[in-house]
Amino acid sequence: MIAVFKTIPPSRYVIYVGFLLIFVTFAVLLRNDGFATPSNLFNIAQQTAPVTVMAIGMVYVLTAGEIDLSIGSIVAVSALLAAVVLREWSWPVAVVAGLGAGAAIGVLNGALVAYGRLPSFLVTLATMGVFAGVARRMTDLQSVPIQNDFFNAFFGSGSLLGLPSLILWTLVAVAVGYFVYRETRYGAHVHAVGDNARAARATGIKVLRVRFSVLVLSGMLAALAGLLYAGRLHGARYTLGEADLLTVIAAVIVGGTRLNGGSGTIIGALIGSLLMGILNNGLILMGYQPSDQMIARGLIILIAVATTLREPNR
Amino acid sequence: MTKTWLASADQPGPSQSGRQSRGMLIMSNQAITLTAICFAAGLAFATPLHAELKATKGPNGEDGTPASSVTLTPEQAAKIKAGHYTAALVWHESSDYSKAASQGAIDEFTKLGIEVVGQTDAAFDAAKQKSDVETVMAKKPSIIYSQAVDPDTAAEVYNIARDAGTKLVFVDQPPKGYVYGVDYVTLVSDDLSKMGKRAGDAMCAAIGGNGKIAYVYHDANFFVTNQRDGAFKQTIIDNCKGAAIVAEQGLADPTRAEDIANAIVAKNPDVEGIYVTWASPAESVLAALRNAGNSKTKIVTMDLSEPLALDMKNGGNVAAIVADEAYGNGVAAARAGALALLGQKVPPFLTVDNLTVTKDNIPEGYRRSLHKEPPASLIAN
Repeated sequence: MIAVFKTIPPSRYVIYVGFLLIFVTFAVLLRNDGFATPSNLFNIAQQTAPVTVMAIGMVYVLTAGEIDLSIGSIVAVSALLAAVVLREWSWPVAVVAGLGAGAAIGVLNGALVAYGRLPSFLVTLATMGVFAGVARRMTDLQSVPIQNDFFNAFFGSGSLLGLPSLILWTLVAVAVGYFVYRETRYGAHVHAVGDNARAARATGIKVLRVRFSVLVLSGMLAALAGLLYAGRLHGARYTLGEADLLTVIAAVIVGGTRLNGGSGTIIGALIGSLLMGILNNGLILMGYQPSDQMIARGLIILIAVATTLREPNR
Repeated sequence: MTKTWLASADQPGPSQSGRQSRGMLIMSNQAITLTAICFAAGLAFATPLHAELKATKGPNGEDGTPASSVTLTPEQAAKIKAGHYTAALVWHESSDYSKAASQGAIDEFTKLGIEVVGQTDAAFDAAKQKSDVETVMAKKPSIIYSQAVDPDTAAEVYNIARDAGTKLVFVDQPPKGYVYGVDYVTLVSDDLSKMGKRAGDAMCAAIGGNGKIAYVYHDANFFVTNQRDGAFKQTIIDNCKGAAIVAEQGLADPTRAEDIANAIVAKNPDVEGIYVTWASPAESVLAALRNAGNSKTKIVTMDLSEPLALDMKNGGNVAAIVADEAYGNGVAAARAGALALLGQKVPPFLTVDNLTVTKDNIPEGYRRSLHKEPPASLIAN
């Protein structure tokens, strides 16, 4: 058994061990404080749903050797647009508008990166700023409440067969994301482009199209995350998603996706995202002050990242 | 293969600190440019308004009641102690203000035998605040003392606590749609009008009752800063007849305050005093004056800040800082929450007192406002 573990790079399993370790630690320390109650665990899963959805997009982007820093701004733009459209139109129109906004920003990012031959870090850094400004201008900094009960239930506070809709969205996103990533030709192309673009091109893979598509996908998933936030809060605000970028990147990297492209894991990203949620939740229930929570969370993530990135042959 | 994007990146968004960031709003650069143009036009046509200084009102027009009037009798305190109640503090952000208010609440809760079971900081993220409320509800607190990130959409954040019977005490504003006495216990805020009047009086004294004043107000629909700013302006008009407000500039993005100050001084080189709506932009205004070698224009602002207080101590541009008793906000909130647990009604809008801090009473200002000793730099000679 130990021999098997020795042949697998730590990045493949450390997240699962770390997750279990932290979960069990909190469950023991907080046994009388409601941590391991079903309602609290459901809460954690619901709270992390938007981050998980964005993390899935980020796995594709990082695997292809790119990065998308604009996801937080896309969340705000799509959520606000959906909320504004819902004032006058039905929910399907709002959903199309919200997802369409994410796709459009993704197309812009993808076109500049793939066909404009610009580095994704700089392109998405710029669009992050542009669309953060757009989100502020859209409603003149005002929050927009959402009173469409179906939209709020479908994306946020509803449930089906006892499962909250946010958890269902997480499951669907992870299942589809995993299948496409692991089982389809497109997923293989994403890996190949991130691993060695020149070799991929030589085998006939349309490298530019893959780079373009992962950024469109990331934009659409960020837009979906925006709809989930809007449904959960029954409203939208320009600050939605602003603080999520580093959480998403941390969740994906801790989950075992390589920062340099070529490999990643959707399940790892899910676990990484849940780990972030558990840390937030557990540290609050431990009674720490907010400043101490931040220090503890940062140190735990640092340990997890350090362990994850230490591969035997590097 | 190393990609060109590999580098560290800071999160978007401005640094936000200080009690005033409660209502801080941000603008895009283009909006700022438009504002600057409007400002230039405004400078030419600014006309003072004439109206009476109004008493402090709550966000829904509630009359203010001094927070110090909310007390518990020994019998009530004994009942609370016997109840083994719990409380959680759910903040919108972390700042000197929230820290002092938290300490006031914790000290008072402790006196009353109420255990504080959780403290959170939403970092201005409404979604995180919802998660924070859900998380602390795992401990079933009897009272939540909180400031909402976004009152317009906050009902969805707090419904879970309200529905569980938790007594909610808010700073400044309730969630939209919440009803006093039904959904929440009370609001605790400042005597905003008095703060503005103190600032106006301090400015008048700083310029010797005569001279040109620039007025940098918070350009957002936020009743806290709106009332403070309005009261300052009215006090200058009513009580400082020798002074004239020659420049009025709305401020939506504190990071642009330095540009605004430069524009004001360029247009009015003989401006005697600048009122700035709160401390963070006032620090930028001070930087602008220093860079311009201007040591004569006086600054008056709201809320304590070490750089400003240090400048004041050293006889620099800063003449006065008006500070509220943040610690008292927490004390009043704790008492209000406790009374609500006993079924007692508390007035809808409690206001804590404030004071004018000048170079002569900096230590007292820190003790009364933040309930702590001033930083070492402000004590050393």
